[in-house]
Amino acid sequence: MLVMGEVHTGLLQNSGEISESTCRQVLGLMTGETVRVSRRPIVHALSPERLTGVDCALPTASRSRVRGVGTVVSRCAVTGGRVAQGSSYVRLVRSEADRRLPWSHYLARPGVVEVLGKAKAADLAEGFTGDSAPGCLNLGAVSGRFLDLVQASPLLDRRAPFKIPRTSLRWVAETGEPSIRFTLHTEQERTLRLTHPGPFTPAVVDLCEDLATHDWLLTSLLVIVERARIGGTPGAQAAARLAPAIDHLMHLWMPAARVEEWLTPFWESLERRPGFTRQWRSLVDRVRDQVAMNALALLSATAEAGRR
Amino acid sequence: MLVFAISDKGGTGRSVTGTNIVYRHALQGNDVCYLDFDFGSPTAGAIFSVSAVARGTRENGLHHYLRGECPQPRRVDVWAESDREGLRARPPGAGRLVLLPGSEGGGELSALTDEVVGRCVQLLGRLDEEFDLCVVDVSAGRSFTAELVLAATVRMPAIPFRWLVFHRWTRQHIIAADGLVTGADGLLDVGTRFGHDPEDLRDRIRFVRTAVLEPDAAELVGLRDEQRAWLSACDSELRELAGRHGVGRTAMLGKIPLDPVLQWREQLITDEDVLASKIANAETAAAFDDLAKKIVDDSAWEGL
Repeated sequence: MLVMGEVHTGLLQNSGEISESTCRQVLGLMTGETVRVSRRPIVHALSPERLTGVDCALPTASRSRVRGVGTVVSRCAVTGGRVAQGSSYVRLVRSEADRRLPWSHYLARPGVVEVLGKAKAADLAEGFTGDSAPGCLNLGAVSGRFLDLVQASPLLDRRAPFKIPRTSLRWVAETGEPSIRFTLHTEQERTLRLTHPGPFTPAVVDLCEDLATHDWLLTSLLVIVERARIGGTPGAQAAARLAPAIDHLMHLWMPAARVEEWLTPFWESLERRPGFTRQWRSLVDRVRDQVAMNALALLSATAEAGRR
Repeated sequence: MLVFAISDKGGTGRSVTGTNIVYRHALQGNDVCYLDFDFGSPTAGAIFSVSAVARGTRENGLHHYLRGECPQPRRVDVWAESDREGLRARPPGAGRLVLLPGSEGGGELSALTDEVVGRCVQLLGRLDEEFDLCVVDVSAGRSFTAELVLAATVRMPAIPFRWLVFHRWTRQHIIAADGLVTGADGLLDVGTRFGHDPEDLRDRIRFVRTAVLEPDAAELVGLRDEQRAWLSACDSELRELAGRHGVGRTAMLGKIPLDPVLQWREQLITDEDVLASKIANAETAAAFDDLAKKIVDDSAWEGL
């Protein structure tokens, strides 16, 4: 029917970025299963997947009661040794039975939630991306918990260079005529509706996680620039407040680096409108210009002092 | 930084001082949040003038969250939701000011289970990721709530935390404040039982004196000489008593002068209250401002 997921993204709670080998340890949630690491163009580490069994109501826009039974797939990721993610998704499939089957049935279908009762895909998609209803399947709670797991790792010193909120991206993917809709809700909540050609593959999840990473980077850089109060505070003070962005965020922008070829058109369409990279570049330029201006001011002040 | 606000007795001005500290800290450009763990009477909403949660919230309050009834507790953006005009716009340069209200009619925690401690750890850990300062109003006296945060902070060794003990400047309050920290079942006693190092915990505790009337205060100008002499004698007696009970100057982080506004109504003291309507004293606002700085200033927290 459709696939839905939620990604939570936050700043890894460590003073500096962590090395590839530390990434492997932090993400080694299950003994015996390896952490997948890709090094180019940016170090990206992905934990083994874990399952959570669910038997609960599914959110619907019409508020009709629909029951889902199955398992949620979750995983954690660390990008650039700096950005941490908890990500969960389920594939909704109409159940062939009219009651709950033995758990062995669901365990043989990891990441599939079977829908009991009458339900329309559109109703479920609307319900999932709308206001979260209490008592329904809450993938955000699962993803948040997995992100907590990473952040609570004893290998991290918890002395993050700045405080910044997590963001959540709730997404729904269906098969059909290609389209993508990315919506900002509150300061921290985003939704994504994606219609892709051909059947679902885990590459779609990679795309959503990649989008979530970049949306978080952009959101966080905006917050840091706002906190710097450029123009409202002395130049040196503003430049000092911008420093964490230079030290920890500005080198992490690698849009679509891990997105499969057939899904790149979706990224490209978001680059045209609203234009993620366009906004990112203008912010980065602004930060650099501020720092350069401040350096100039310092230089001329030193020269002035030398002449006296 | 997590700051736990506790007092020996009720009516010490713990909540009103705690809320004013976070307000001042937000004005100083930091992102702050205030957690109303005073489950018996969650009234922080009233102090922030958010009438919708004046006596706590009916849904998704902190009490509901700790009992596992909701995945996340409700957050109130004070700059957006306060009914007070002077608070409704975020001043330029100010950080976020968020209230996590308690549950209306929630009642005190009745038991401390592993699940409750786990949820508390999760909540405080997440808030520490995004806020520079989280002030937790722990309520008055020995309670399960105080035990809860003592148990939770043991599980988060890397997250910095501090305790503020509020007391009034009277004989009974000084003795009780000392008892709350060093007495049987006091903070150090219970904290050590949960696995805190008593020396380390002691260094994380400071006292705040509230509703202090200085012998040389302007309010005392009309007093007779005999009254003034008596007050001055009382004050030095109290200072001596405080010193003996470990509540003296070295262990004190700050003091809040007696202010008529706070005697009549628990509220945030804005600069408008001081400068425009002039209902509050400038010294009171300055004392809150000073505390809001000292709370994160390591030099004010060096070992005793």
